[in-house]
Amino acid sequence: MTPAVQISKLNKRYPDVTALDSIALEIQPGDFYGLLGPNGAGKTTTINILAGLCNKTAGDVTIFGRDIVNDYRDCRRLVGLVPQEFNFDVFVRLRHMLVFQGGFFGLPKRTCEARADELLAEFDLSDKADTQLRNLSGGMKRRAIITRALMHRPKILILDEPTAGVDVDLRRSLWQYLRQLNAEGTTILLTTHYIEEAEALCDRIAIINEGCIVTVDTTRNLVARLTTESVHITLTAPLTNGMLENFDDLQIEAADGSNELTVTFDRRQTPYHSILERLISAGVRIDNIRPVGNQLEQVFVSLTK
Amino acid sequence: MNISDEEIYAPKLTCGNFVGFRTLVMRECHRFLRVWNQTLVPPLITTVLYILIFGYSLGSRIPEVQNVSYMEFLVPGLVMMGVISGAYQNTSSSLYIARFQGNVQELLVSSMSSFEIVLGVILGGVARGICIGIVVAAVAVLMAGVEILHLPTALFFIVVVSIAFASFGFLSGLWAEDFDQLSLFQTYVLTPLTYLGGVFFSVDMLPVLWQKVAMANPILYFVNGLRYAFLGISDISLPVAIVTVLFAAIVPFVGCCMLFHRGYHIKT
Repeated sequence: MTPAVQISKLNKRYPDVTALDSIALEIQPGDFYGLLGPNGAGKTTTINILAGLCNKTAGDVTIFGRDIVNDYRDCRRLVGLVPQEFNFDVFVRLRHMLVFQGGFFGLPKRTCEARADELLAEFDLSDKADTQLRNLSGGMKRRAIITRALMHRPKILILDEPTAGVDVDLRRSLWQYLRQLNAEGTTILLTTHYIEEAEALCDRIAIINEGCIVTVDTTRNLVARLTTESVHITLTAPLTNGMLENFDDLQIEAADGSNELTVTFDRRQTPYHSILERLISAGVRIDNIRPVGNQLEQVFVSLTK
Repeated sequence: MNISDEEIYAPKLTCGNFVGFRTLVMRECHRFLRVWNQTLVPPLITTVLYILIFGYSLGSRIPEVQNVSYMEFLVPGLVMMGVISGAYQNTSSSLYIARFQGNVQELLVSSMSSFEIVLGVILGGVARGICIGIVVAAVAVLMAGVEILHLPTALFFIVVVSIAFASFGFLSGLWAEDFDQLSLFQTYVLTPLTYLGGVFFSVDMLPVLWQKVAMANPILYFVNGLRYAFLGISDISLPVAIVTVLFAAIVPFVGCCMLFHRGYHIKT
């Protein structure tokens, strides 16, 4: 099967810095792919090269087998880009922006108008169709910028930090929409700072740092790489003297008389349930348990520090 | 298995993106027509004021120039002033603001070629230049009672000068890093050259030294080309004016295409 995106030996050099150093990536059709990395790692440069906003220095990039330089017209109609910043003419009305954008992809005006109305309804923006973009709220602008990228029904949707600065409700509804879009066959490439977002949405993740791909794997495998895990336990009754004296094989942080404790353990050697059974046997009365930190976040930190 | 063209919603473009190009021209026209009171009315007011002051008031005290009244002599230059500033301002502000707001990316990610984008934006400027030219000419003809002797020649000069200054505006919009830089070309080059470009005088009226200096000003050729089309009089021979205006349009246009294709100031 032809990959949706194939990147090999991709370099991007500026006079004073190498932004991408011979990176390689392969994204299969239907993937929900995450590109994670700290600020300045090369995420936006990579997606800008894919979308046509940045000229590569060297290397090959194809989209469904089409070269992004030689077959640029074919590539552009396959890709939709949702940039991080709101990059529209703020004096244009929302529906006009969408109709113009469809036109730039060669779609007839009537098709564009129908598609614009469909997307406006889908994103609950129909009543704002004739509003100038400067008068939309932040959440509406975020939805508007996504509808613009979807005007030509791209086979690959690239989103650069799509939920930065949006409220929880909108974030959840965008997640749901992206999952549905992916289930319908659209390949999605997502960059995000929210590790939770990548863990919730992506089935494959590439971690990029200082212009190099550090690792590529399924989200599940990445999380499985984490061998040490910590859990935070809240108690219904305070700890008493000697309650934890037989737990020398585990790393436990707690003070006598405290209602809270943190247990760190190697999950290859110590099953989760055995810790709980031993704590209960020792008379510890458990009220609540939650993992300390995000699992993928811990992998991310260990790979990029 | 590769994805087939039929599975892709946006059409496959084998002979250029005409729909995209037309959409861009429409958008650029929509942009200046939306604010017609800022783009079309001011040059009209300026023309009326010039005709009132230099034509009706002072013009009666100035003897005929090349056998036409000073008021008639003035009209083609005023039309050319409106065309030059309208075409220049449209592309310079459109492109600079598109860079400033980031919406130039709407075009860069689309399936349009650099050439189609450059031509589309420039034709928006040309459309504004022509609109202003027609409106100003209509008012000037009504107020000054001028008849246009060679309409095709007048249209040629209005269109080609619009292309030239829309291209200069495009280059300015591409180059400028802030609003101050955007106004530099207009303040220090365009305005002085326009006022010294034979709008208000014939080169015969200047001292010999300044006549030679004035001949180095390309706007003199454009104004005189249009004056020939309107009145049949000119300080410059028509073929020379035509060659000059074609050169002034083609060179910056090619420059726009090359710089935009390279991604100068628009791609990282």
